[in-house]
Amino acid sequence: MANTTKEQPLLQVKHLTKEFPVESGVFGSRFAKHVSAVDDVSFNIYPRKTFGLVGESGCGKSTTGRCIMRLLRPTKGEVIFDGQDVAQLKKKELKAVRRNMQYIFQDPYASLNPRMTIGEIISEPMVIHNEGGSRAERIESVKKLLDVVGLNPEHINRYPHEFSGGQRQRIGIARAFALSPKLIICDEPVSALDVSIQAQVLNLLDGLQEAFGTAYLFIAHDLSVVQHISDEVAVMYLGNLMEYSDWRSLYAEPYHPYTQALLSAVPVPNPDIQKTRERIILAGDPPSPINPPKGCRFHTRCPIATEECKKERPPMKEVEAGHFCACWHAKPFPIEGSSVEL
Amino acid sequence: MKKKEQEKLQHHIEAHELKKKKIPKGKHLLEVKDLKMYFHTQDGIVKAVDGVSYTLDKDETLGVVGESGSGKSVTAMTIMGLIEMPPGQIEGGDVLYRGKSLLSMTEKEMQGIRGNNIAMIFQDPMTALNPVYTIGRQLGEGLRVHMGYSRKQALARAEELLGMVGIPNAEQRVKDYPHQFSGGMRQRAMIAMALACDPDILIADEPTTALDVTIQAQIIELMQEMQDKNHNAIIMITHDLGVVADIADKIMVMYAGRPVEFGTADEIFYNPIHPYTWGLMRSIPEQATEEKKPLTPISGNPPSLVNVPKGCSFSPRCPYATARCKEEEPPVYKTESGHYSRCFFSGDKAFVEKNSPRTTRDVATGTRKKERKPQAALDDTTARAVQALKESQAATEASNTKQTKRG
Repeated sequence: MANTTKEQPLLQVKHLTKEFPVESGVFGSRFAKHVSAVDDVSFNIYPRKTFGLVGESGCGKSTTGRCIMRLLRPTKGEVIFDGQDVAQLKKKELKAVRRNMQYIFQDPYASLNPRMTIGEIISEPMVIHNEGGSRAERIESVKKLLDVVGLNPEHINRYPHEFSGGQRQRIGIARAFALSPKLIICDEPVSALDVSIQAQVLNLLDGLQEAFGTAYLFIAHDLSVVQHISDEVAVMYLGNLMEYSDWRSLYAEPYHPYTQALLSAVPVPNPDIQKTRERIILAGDPPSPINPPKGCRFHTRCPIATEECKKERPPMKEVEAGHFCACWHAKPFPIEGSSVEL
Repeated sequence: MKKKEQEKLQHHIEAHELKKKKIPKGKHLLEVKDLKMYFHTQDGIVKAVDGVSYTLDKDETLGVVGESGSGKSVTAMTIMGLIEMPPGQIEGGDVLYRGKSLLSMTEKEMQGIRGNNIAMIFQDPMTALNPVYTIGRQLGEGLRVHMGYSRKQALARAEELLGMVGIPNAEQRVKDYPHQFSGGMRQRAMIAMALACDPDILIADEPTTALDVTIQAQIIELMQEMQDKNHNAIIMITHDLGVVADIADKIMVMYAGRPVEFGTADEIFYNPIHPYTWGLMRSIPEQATEEKKPLTPISGNPPSLVNVPKGCSFSPRCPYATARCKEEEPPVYKTESGHYSRCFFSGDKAFVEKNSPRTTRDVATGTRKKERKPQAALDDTTARAVQALKESQAATEASNTKQTKRG
């Protein structure tokens, strides 16, 4: 990993695998087939750092987040947080671990209970974990939290429907920070928001990380957003990690053909560059995870796939200090600034 | 053909003839003039579209950019005559298609135009396609209605169209239902459907927003290919400045129901003159490979359209707003090239020079240089609030430990 200091990782994900059963019909064995949503994924998250997880829809990035939080029980693998394997914990032990792990959801409309006031919503983590002192003290800290996320503390007794999308996401952030946890899993926190509001929320997350020293697992499909907020970035495709590295190296010198295609597919808001740069446009759609391709899962769409790729899955190799890539033909593909040269 | 049938087809034939005619001199393919569409609701009058003007010619692509609720979609729907009236009401302006007013057409005449002359692609292909009809039948529907194709002819043409938009195995896939298609394929089918009658104008309402980036790249490429072949005009509605940079010749930036800036793609990206456009550009994270620069978001929220702020509607969020901006509505400032903006200061060269983000077209090195004022992620008030929260958290923790010790 690119972490130069020998700091202990806050979270270690080792060979995480999550399979979902698929019903195969009335006759025959039920649950004969499995969708392997996440397959053998390993990475570390360090304290006070942001780990970005990018990929297209259905690649298993949210499932990874949910497995770490143990909202889903992993089929295989370990999730070591604070020295404990979250994957094996019992319900009571989980509660203690989750105190230090919070979640910010994508949909600011669905993730807040419409029948609770925002004061109740934000103080709920304190109530559950019996922290934050007396009721009056809790109200005080909720007010301060509201102030922190840029909402008016006088609105403490309002209901979620009285707020706009961006404001609701701020409420979600206040709730996640209520216990100042060590890790916050942000699952597409800005993708439902307008550009100008998105920038506000990103800045807020950035600033709060600096102030509270929280680590983020930042899950998103927008490469520019992930680049902006992350220290390290991992690229997922069909349940597999394809490449990970610190953000600079990944965006400047992607080794994996999928990362290269993904980066070149993002339109750059600059017509001259956008219209002249060379792009790799991938053909077809991602295959179904019920029946993933053998070998490298990307080979069906890969422009440089060979026989070898169809047979065996490439291992994750260190191609450069701190830069890992799972490809038989990994080679740097410098993307200077944002233009792509082939 | 029987007389009755011919009568039924009358409007469609007329609309079809209209496509072949030469555009009268001095007229454009499409001209929107000071269009106003208000909704009369219980809460008051919603000025969803308030004075939109532009022109569009063949082979041109107009990008309409703005945040949700800025009136981008309503403008398109008004042109298509798809707004239910009431509650909607056209309060002024006109839409001229080849010199003919679309707004004064009867519903029957509009039926001839829709799909035939002006077609639309919607954001969500799953809800725009009918789940109980096959793709082939839906593709051919326009052909049967507008051109009087038989079922067989329509299906054959549908096959051709599906092949044209890059769906493999088209002769089999026309028999499929929408749920058997992937998201990208559904959007391709929608494009095929929109192109079925060879329309003059294609209105695409956020056609790639629901799609992944790699699929988005495919769809944009397809749309460009189709335009090169059919020479139609495209109105691309989106919130993504990147998509617009890719495809648009002209760009209209909308805010609170109004176009705040309009110009060629070059003018909007390299010489923007409205503070809202600047704000949008500063809000997008850029793909940098050296240093990360903090984003400069636009403060506050977009206004409610029932209660549009007095004066310039952007003034409450504008960092440069003066007392005059909050009182008076700024006039339209127009340059010779047709680049226009609704801001008091757009004509002030020194002001624009000083405050606009500079996107340089440094294609040679491929780097995009944008100057941004360095700024801390948290502003002062938030930083103070954070400090206060930390102190109080420390205090409660201390009292908690005391209590536990005592206990």
